[in-house]
Amino acid sequence: MTEAIKIENLNKNYGDVQALEDVNLTIEQGEFFGLLGPNGAGKSTLIGVLAGLVNKDSGQVSVLGNNIIQSYRKTKKSLGIVPQEVVFDPYFNVRETLEIQSGYFGIKDNDQRIDEVLEALGLKYKEDTNIRGLSGGMKRRLLIAKALVHDPEIIVLDEPTAGVDVELRNSLWEYVTKLNRQGKTIILTTHYLEEAEQLCDRIAILNEGRVVAVDEKEELINRIDKKVIEIKLNQAANQVKDNFASDAKIEVVAEDKLKLTTTRGKVTGLLEQIQNSNLEILDIDINSAKLEDIFMKLTSLGGENNE
Amino acid sequence: MSDLITFYSLVKREIWRFSKVAIQTVFAPLISTSLYLIIFSYSFRSREIAGYGIEYINFIVPGLIMMSLIQNSFANTSSSLIVAKYQGSIVDLLLAPFSYMQLTLGLMIGGIVRGVVVGFAIYIVATFFYSGAVYSVGLLFLFSILISGVFSLFGIIAGLWAEKFDHISIFSNFFITPLTFLSGVFYSVKNLPGIWSKVSLFNPVFYMIDMARYAFVGISDAKLSLSITIVTSLFIALFALTTYLFKIGYKIKD
Repeated sequence: MTEAIKIENLNKNYGDVQALEDVNLTIEQGEFFGLLGPNGAGKSTLIGVLAGLVNKDSGQVSVLGNNIIQSYRKTKKSLGIVPQEVVFDPYFNVRETLEIQSGYFGIKDNDQRIDEVLEALGLKYKEDTNIRGLSGGMKRRLLIAKALVHDPEIIVLDEPTAGVDVELRNSLWEYVTKLNRQGKTIILTTHYLEEAEQLCDRIAILNEGRVVAVDEKEELINRIDKKVIEIKLNQAANQVKDNFASDAKIEVVAEDKLKLTTTRGKVTGLLEQIQNSNLEILDIDINSAKLEDIFMKLTSLGGENNE
Repeated sequence: MSDLITFYSLVKREIWRFSKVAIQTVFAPLISTSLYLIIFSYSFRSREIAGYGIEYINFIVPGLIMMSLIQNSFANTSSSLIVAKYQGSIVDLLLAPFSYMQLTLGLMIGGIVRGVVVGFAIYIVATFFYSGAVYSVGLLFLFSILISGVFSLFGIIAGLWAEKFDHISIFSNFFITPLTFLSGVFYSVKNLPGIWSKVSLFNPVFYMIDMARYAFVGISDAKLSLSITIVTSLFIALFALTTYLFKIGYKIKD
């Protein structure tokens, strides 16, 4: 099967700043793909190149096997892009905007699809409102609706939930997950790492214009050998802090709470020590590494403490 | 078929846009040009234009109609683009599957329609001041499209180049208004003293007004074939330039 997106040796400079440096990335059809990175990592530039908003300096990019330069009209038809910035055409109301947008993509009489998207995004009751009269959150919903109205094969969401309430966030993810189950490829950039962890199959992490990691979500998380045991006690935590051998980093996180950070291989031994101790335990939790841990490790946000 | 819908939708959007603000885009120029008609028809009612043998009102009606057509064609495309750039909705044009030529044509047709609508409305008003006679309706129609096409394209280029609203007014105040006022809208260039009638020949708007006046009264200062050649060449050059600017994403792509 043809790849949804194939990026080879992509470079883009803004003056002295290298926004994208030799980026190589393949996204398969039907994937829910996460594109993560701190601000200025190059995520939006990468999406801009894909969408035709940014001219690349060198490299090849294809969408469903079509080159974005030679076959730009075909590639644009198969993409639905939700830009990060809230932009709007001030002359029209919600429904008119979606009618025009459908027309731009060659679809006439698209009422059924427009209704479906309006319902799914909770915009139906605002369909006759001029966009200038919409709240920020509603404008963002409309941006998403515009990207979906031509039923594209690949949906690219650039920070779609920034500044959006929890209710929309949930209904948006429900709808996007449904589209992904129907076979649509989803590419998501987000600052909310839990969202990426919850939704994406595969994740690429960008840092300073380079892809520093790309892998299955679980594989990526497994790269960090970390287990955290949290114990809630019926006694003062700082009195029992020294009961353990040095198999873990031990922190008192609350008056009655201990946090033991260790590696996978040492968990069993540590649990045995806990069982054999005379601690009065009320509750115990064991957690693995999170996407955030690998994100912090691989990006500039991890600072000098990067492992 | 879907390609036609894509193109048609852009034209429809452009016409729909100016129709939504018709008070500003159609009625305001209609009022101001009607005032010109009232003032000139009253002030110079018994005056004849040398070499034309027609009343002054018959002479200036074609010029006033073309002046409005030029200004409104330019205003339509330039403001459509600068507002889209200002609001960020220019991405709608960039994300959609338009060919570069479709973008040029679609925006240009929007400008032509507004120019012709305003021009026609002024003609209707003008019939209250003169007989309403037109020497060649066919030529008038053709020339109106050609002239408004030139200024729609000019408006697109200005809209692409401009980074703020002020920049658009540089074009209209420092180029379009002087070139139009000095093009023979209000007087026959032939009757200008000394070198000024020669200088006017370097003004492309002179040929536009002159050919439009020919379509109205059957007389012109310059040779009609020369005017048609100059204006058509300008149209082709601006069309090619505009399409090229869309291709390279001039000031709209990073």
